[in-house]
Amino acid sequence: MAFHHKILGVVTLLYLCLFLIHVIYFAARKEKIKTFMWFVLYVTLGLQTVGLILRWVESYQIGIGHAPLSNFYESLIFYSWCISLILVVMKKRLNYPSLTVFGVLISLFLMGYASISPSVDRNIQPLVPALQSNWLHIHVLTCFLAYASFVVSFVCGLLYITPWKKFIPPQETLDDINYRSVIVGFPLLSAGIITGAVWAHYAWGSYWSWDPKETWSLITWIVYALFLHARLMRGWKGKKIAILSIIGFGSVIFTYFGVNFILSGLHSYAT
Amino acid sequence: MSATKSNPSEKAAPQEKSFVESLQGFLASIKFAIILLVCIALGSILGTIIKQGAGPDEYLSLYSEGTYRIITLLGLNDVYHSPWFFALLFLFAINLTLCTLRRFMPILKGDKKSSIPDESAMVGMPMNFRGRGDVNDANLSSILKGYRCTYSGPEGMIFQKGSLSKYGVLLIHTSIMLILIGGFVGLVTGFKGFMVLHKGEMKNSITIGGEQPHEKPLGFSLKCKDFQVSFYPNGAPKDYVSTVEVIEGGQTIFEKQIRVNDPLNYKGIHVYQASYGKTPSLVFNIGGERVTLKERETFRKDNFVMMPIRFEQNIHNFGPGVMVVYLDQGEPRTVWFLKNIERFNEKNILTVPVRLEDVHEEFYTGLSVSKDPGVWIVWAGFAFILFGLYINFFIYFRRIYVRNSTGGYIVAGVAMKNKEVFKEEFERLRGRFNGISS
Repeated sequence: MAFHHKILGVVTLLYLCLFLIHVIYFAARKEKIKTFMWFVLYVTLGLQTVGLILRWVESYQIGIGHAPLSNFYESLIFYSWCISLILVVMKKRLNYPSLTVFGVLISLFLMGYASISPSVDRNIQPLVPALQSNWLHIHVLTCFLAYASFVVSFVCGLLYITPWKKFIPPQETLDDINYRSVIVGFPLLSAGIITGAVWAHYAWGSYWSWDPKETWSLITWIVYALFLHARLMRGWKGKKIAILSIIGFGSVIFTYFGVNFILSGLHSYAT
Repeated sequence: MSATKSNPSEKAAPQEKSFVESLQGFLASIKFAIILLVCIALGSILGTIIKQGAGPDEYLSLYSEGTYRIITLLGLNDVYHSPWFFALLFLFAINLTLCTLRRFMPILKGDKKSSIPDESAMVGMPMNFRGRGDVNDANLSSILKGYRCTYSGPEGMIFQKGSLSKYGVLLIHTSIMLILIGGFVGLVTGFKGFMVLHKGEMKNSITIGGEQPHEKPLGFSLKCKDFQVSFYPNGAPKDYVSTVEVIEGGQTIFEKQIRVNDPLNYKGIHVYQASYGKTPSLVFNIGGERVTLKERETFRKDNFVMMPIRFEQNIHNFGPGVMVVYLDQGEPRTVWFLKNIERFNEKNILTVPVRLEDVHEEFYTGLSVSKDPGVWIVWAGFAFILFGLYINFFIYFRRIYVRNSTGGYIVAGVAMKNKEVFKEEFERLRGRFNGISS
């Protein structure tokens, strides 16, 4: 087993620890635990970065060097990395354990699925010719950072409509964070679609070919465009916005997973 | 952000609106935009659920005959090029244009005549304070660092920051129009076709697919000098390279290695590495004469006619073989040659001894050829939309009024977005004002 696999295994365990720390916080409600949780999250993110870099380095050692962004396993790990990165970047606003616990849980699920599922190939695979491009890095980075921002928006929407008001941040705060994560995610998603289109122009000969992945990313883009217009132009707030953010994330999930497993197309690298 | 609430048509509500006016209002409304976007999204979903561009047999194997009739009637077998989808996009373009114009006319017209609100209005603003003493211009510009004075009069001054952000939405919407226009230009003036080239072959036209496939001349020729494919140790493809010469008017213009992700570009026409394949070259010895034939290539000499009709890589583990058809007094007959088996690689056809001496497989390259003059418009749209998104969401418009008042001055601040952050900044400004005038 390669060294980076061991590190990523530790990272998975750390996500589990982070979840347990949250549980302890909910039971004890001590500020110190919250501080400790953020510390562990920094360590986890750092270690995961090291794991990804090592995988990158190892791919060069076996002579097929490329960034760890090329298959389903790598995308799962990268997605969880992006979620943690967004949590850390938005720390000031996301300093509510009832929010971060979901980010950590989703990361734990992604890492666990990546390392346990028999259908996921964990080996470093060579890059097929279509992926041999510098557009790969910026395209995957922007898309997954957008997906990660939409996780935050989704969690806010979900908490907004839950009946247990005791444990969650005030509703106005949820509404505000929801909007803020979308204004981060929406430009990133636009950039992801655009870099993908420019790349497609050079690799496939057409910047837009209505490939299922492209189409679903456009649908996701439309949902969040509606979110922004409903909020900024029609003054939607609260429950309606919460539901829109949940629909939006449903579309994100389908763009990421659904298209790969259900629909076939040009974009079938990640299966 | 409440431009719709203050638009003129809603103010004039009590008057009876004519049908044309209300239709115009609807076409420019955000409601219509939302309806259209939802329809475009739903239409796009249909296009990913129903298989696109397949033949009738494939649909009939999936759906009943009645369903298939509905699918073809509504163009659901090619959603993204169906008339109703184009109609949706067209209506969306109209809506976007009207919506944007309606929203930005007041800003574009009215930005010039900014004036300082009177004292009572300023005291009514959520952020304001009074100061005693005098502030002069030099003081103000050092306090309000990063702000630009946009108005200066005897009664006071106006300072602004982040004015660019007001144009964010305008820029985003214009970019979307550019992308739609670019797409339309590409659709009308561009083309996309395919060309298969064997090693050494030269062609000057491409095949355009669709309902009636046809050949389209390019205006120049492409000659395939070489094609190489390489594999990783695990068998996955590593690189496809076609070495292609561009020939125009009998002269070689240049030579280029076309790879995936690295197309050839000549006179606005892009040539992409799309696929490749192998064709066998069959070397026969026919009555002492060495002849190289491809599949379905006829050999004729006097009355003797033969044609290799089917090549198989491996026949019952006996290695490569080829079926040859020949004419026996006008009647077609077939015979198999097996390259690696003695007695089966040499046969008499009629009276001529024929021997299959060698088989080499040759690669051919599949090139996708397209021209899209609209692509630069789309690229411009892409660049502008990213810039527009940035200034819209990450640059905040702030305005500060400073009005001279009896015995001192009054300061008020206005922010459209990110108000809490501005409140903090405003408190800091208040501290600096006090520090200078006291």
